[in-house]
This record gives sequence, C-alpha cells and structure tokens, in this order.
Amino acid sequence: MPDSERVVLAEGLRKSFGGRTALDGLDLSITQGQLYGLAGPNGAGKTTLIRTLCGILRPDKGVATLLGWRMPSSRVRSQLGYMPQDFAVYDDLSVLQNLEFFGRLYELRRGQVRERADELLQLVQLADRKHQRVGTLSGGMRRRVSLAISLLHKPRLVFLDEPTAGVDPKLRRALWDDFNRLAEQDVTLVVTTHLVDEAQRCHVVGFLNAGRLLTQGTPHEILAETGTSNLDDAFIVLQERGQGREESRT
Amino acid sequence: MKSLAVAQNVLRRIAHDPRTLVLIVVLPLFFVLLYGNSFSGSYKGLAIVIVNEDNGLASVRTAEVGRVTLDVDLAQSFVDELDPRMFDVVVSGDADAAIARVGQSSVWAALVFPKSFSNAVVNEAVRASGERRIELYGDTITLLPSDPVDGPRTVLVLDDSNPLVANAIRGALDAAFAHVLASQQSSLTVEGLLDVQALHEGSIRMLDFTAPGIIGFAMTLITVMLTAMSVVRERTSGTLTRILIAPISAWQVTVGYTFAFSVIGILQAAELFLASILLFGIRFVGSPGIVALIIVLFTIGLQGIATLISTLAKNEAQAMQLVLFLLIPSLMVSGVFWPLETMPATIRPLSYISPLTYANTGLREVMLAGGGFGEIRFELAILGMFAVVMLLLSVLSMRRQAYTA
Repeated sequence: MPDSERVVLAEGLRKSFGGRTALDGLDLSITQGQLYGLAGPNGAGKTTLIRTLCGILRPDKGVATLLGWRMPSSRVRSQLGYMPQDFAVYDDLSVLQNLEFFGRLYELRRGQVRERADELLQLVQLADRKHQRVGTLSGGMRRRVSLAISLLHKPRLVFLDEPTAGVDPKLRRALWDDFNRLAEQDVTLVVTTHLVDEAQRCHVVGFLNAGRLLTQGTPHEILAETGTSNLDDAFIVLQERGQGREESRT
Repeated sequence: MKSLAVAQNVLRRIAHDPRTLVLIVVLPLFFVLLYGNSFSGSYKGLAIVIVNEDNGLASVRTAEVGRVTLDVDLAQSFVDELDPRMFDVVVSGDADAAIARVGQSSVWAALVFPKSFSNAVVNEAVRASGERRIELYGDTITLLPSDPVDGPRTVLVLDDSNPLVANAIRGALDAAFAHVLASQQSSLTVEGLLDVQALHEGSIRMLDFTAPGIIGFAMTLITVMLTAMSVVRERTSGTLTRILIAPISAWQVTVGYTFAFSVIGILQAAELFLASILLFGIRFVGSPGIVALIIVLFTIGLQGIATLISTLAKNEAQAMQLVLFLLIPSLMVSGVFWPLETMPATIRPLSYISPLTYANTGLREVMLAGGGFGEIRFELAILGMFAVVMLLLSVLSMRRQAYTA
C-alpha cells in the first residue's frame, strides 16, 4: 500500500500511566477514506490510543504518523478533527457561539462559519437550538454540539471518541449514516465505541483489548475468522483466544 | 445516621486527595508561623541621615571666672543615644543633599544639627532652669543665665508617608533628645530645640498608606483566582485540549488569556481606585497613566502565577487552596500594613520575592507622593521582568497542560 494512502500509521505504540499499561506495543494502519471502528470494552485503551495519535499524549515508545507527519506535529492540526469523549464545549456559550469560537481558531471567516454551522446543525439535528446556551441542553445534545465542532473545518482525518454514547437509537443510526457519507467524500474517520456490535457499520474494525489490537479487518472478515454471527461474540472469542495465548506463554 | 454517612463520605474523599490533605495540615501552620514572625518584629534598620555641624562647644557665663567654654558635644551624645538596631544612621556633611534624600524616599528622615547646637542647648538650659553648679577641672563653678541664644534650630525633615514609621521615628528621636536634655538638668522641651518639617505635613492617614497595598492585593486575589479557575475549568472540561489541537500555538493561547484578564484587571483596578477615592477620599496625587502601567505589568505577571497554579491543581477546589496558600502570605510580607523595615531578617527574603511588594511600593510612591517614572524605575523594572518571566512560564505551562489534560 502506498504511503500516501495511509493516513494513520502507528508502530509499536506503548504508553503507561503509573504501573498500568494502556498501550502495549500497538501497530495500526488506516487508509484514506476509511470509516475505521475502534471497538473494545471500557479501559481497553481506545481513548489513550486516539489521544496518542492526535499528539495530546506522548507515547513512551513507538511512533505515530498522521497524514504523513510524525506526531506531535503542528502541520496536521488544520486537517485534523477531534471529538473528545467528554463534551469539551463551553456550557456558558450558545451553540452558535461555540462553533464561531472554534471556527476562528481554524481561521474560518464569519460567513463560512455561519454556513458550516447551518449544515452541521442540520446534520446533528440541532438547527432549532442554534442560539440556545449549551449548558441548558441535554447530554446527548451537547455531544452532538461537540461532534459539529469537530467537523466544522472540513478535516481530512477525524477522530471521534465515543460519538454515539448517550445518543438515542434513531439519531445514532442517522449519525452512522452521516459518518459513512463523510467517508464517501474521502474523509477518514476513526470512531471508537465500547458497543462492539455498533462497529458493524464501519468499513474496517479493530478490536482493542488491554492496550493490544486483537484483530483488524472488515466486519465480514472478522465474523468469518471467528466463526460467529455478530461482532459481540467475535470479540469474546478473540479475547479468550488472546488470554489462552497469554497463559500458554507464561 | 445518614448525616454521618455524608460526613464520612466527605472526609474519605478528602483523605484520598493527598494535595488537599497536605494543604489542610500545612496551611494553618504556615500562616501562624508567618503571622507571628512578621507581626512580632519591631522597627529595624530605618535609614536616616544625620548632618552633624555642631562644633560641640558651649560658651557659658559663670559666677566665678567670667565666661568659659565647655566641650560638651551634645549632638554626638544624641547620635550615640540612638538605638543602632532601629536606625541605619548615615552621616553626611551636606545638609541639602541629606534633605533631598528624604524627598527621594531613600531615607526616612534627615536630622541637621546646627553649628551652635551644644551652645544653644547649654545656655537655654541654664536660662530655663536658673543657675546650675557643675564640676570643671576639679573646681565647682556656677553657670549663670545669659541672653537668649539666637541661631538656627535643629531641623528634622521627616517622610511621613507611613504614619506608623513617622511616629516611631519621632518617638525614638524625642527619647534621645530627652536624654541629652536630662544631662543638662534642664526642664527644656524638645519642641523648643527642634524644627520638624514633615514631607506631607501629616496629611497622609493610615488609610491612605495601606490603600495601595490593599488595592494591589484585591487585584491579585481576584485576578489570580479568576484566571486559575478558568484555566483549570478549561482543562478539566476538555476545551483546552480541543483548543490546543487546533492550529493555534500555546503562545497564542497564553497571550489571549493574558489580554482578556488584563482588561478585566484594569477595569477592576479602575473600580477599586474610584470607589476608594469617592467613598473614602483616598489620597491620589500622582499620574493615573503610571498607575495603569504598574497595574498592567502586575496583572500580566499574575496571569503567569495563575497559570502555574492551574498546572499544579487537579481541580478548581485545589486551585482555590493553592491561590490562598500563595496570596495570603503575600499580604503579610509585602509591606502593606507595616513597612519592610519592621520584618525580621528571616521573613524579608519573602518580601523581596513577592511581586506585591513592588506593586505596593510603586503605587504608594505614585499615589501618595506623586512620584514619576524616575522615582519608581526600580519597581517598574522588577514588575516588567516579573511580567516577561511569568508570560514565558505560562506558555510552557500551557504546553504541559495540553499533554496532561
């Protein structure tokens, strides 16, 4: 695969907090326009991996490269979208004011921000809440504001950390449809979820457990590999295989 | 029982937070030690200049041998009587230069003994109390009153910008004079010998003296608390990470923060000054522009302190505790209520590293004495360095926070 297509490349990433290993020599490769699902239980290392890839955390070992730039690099920032797991929005500002502020950081003109805000608020179904203070919105709505902010500047590569947590099933389905639509426009999306089965909607899925990638492939490939009918079962099978291998090694 | 459960839960959570635990134990002890030490100090090292032009001789009429000249050297006796711990005495031969130094705030007082001081005191003493018998070269002679001695009186030029210090100096000088007069067995009073020229003619009240420091402290408290809490909230809510992932440098973020809080600081200062002047008639005789410059430099530096505090604090409660831990001592050691000269040597280094000391001194000089750039260039230089260093440290701290958010 030519390097130009590989927008995310991680080699031997290792990160510990105190005595706890969050990433254990992780390798990862994601190509342009992929909707990549990073699935795993809570504490598997998904958020640490995303934060390390984005350059928010420095790895203890290993190298992360985004869009051809070794991280951390300021050169990719304008092409990078990031939606953290916590809301990361200003509760005391309105929805539009939040978008306007981050729009200015990405050097968007006021008119551009307004135009994008209208598009994105339609996407996240918050068009009628544009002038409402974010602090008065529900948790699910705040998450959608956060998602809109991360897509504001039309990034080439977007990291979405649990974007569908706390979102009702109807909107969740709509969001996954939108993620697929973005991927069709050649935007690369890395989406984490602890609801393993949800990753079925992705082009490629990586199962993460205890800081290691258990497997990576299309949902169809993973189901075939594990001989299961859904990704939840597939994850459990792979997790058990991993534990078995670990025990035989020790 | 449920209340007990709530109480236990609160205490358990505090016990799980080592930084809060340390602050709870250390903070009160630290305050008591600082308070006790800084308050218990008596006045030490007050700089005064003495110009001793007294020739030490007194020409007196006697009943037995006509006029004799006595070598009494009363001005020197006065100087010897001063408490060397309380005063840093500089001896000068130039009266005008000595008096000028008081105006420049480099010494608290200048005392000029005229050439005929000893002569005047001895003769006035005899005139006031009548004949007096003294021993001279083994004989007893009787000093007789003569005509009043005309001539220049001793001049005391006193910086009364700090009423406490001015009173202390007056008290100590009066005591030394009283001792000299007692040696002449006279009922003379100090007032008869001393011409006191207070720099501000006693117009500066204790309220005026403490106002610049209190205003500076209020600004420090509000600015540091507001900035530290904002940065901590920005970090804990995740917005700081989001900002620092955007194409904006830590430097630009820091400058943005500093600009916003400097504007708030200036507005706060304006409010504090206006309220103090309108409600309490606080003395303000200097340039508002120079005061604004002090405030801006001071506020920029305070942003840095606040950003550093926010780096250390895990949450807003810890930030608040750290702010109090740093700022309350600064009120005690920065010469707001009592001059630095009253502080023990062990405490003084804290005074010199507290930026409030320099903001307070500068504001006081401008507000109370109408000082200009020349008079406060040292304070401005220190505050300028404080602002630059703190701005750089805040940038580093912002970068660090981006990686620890």
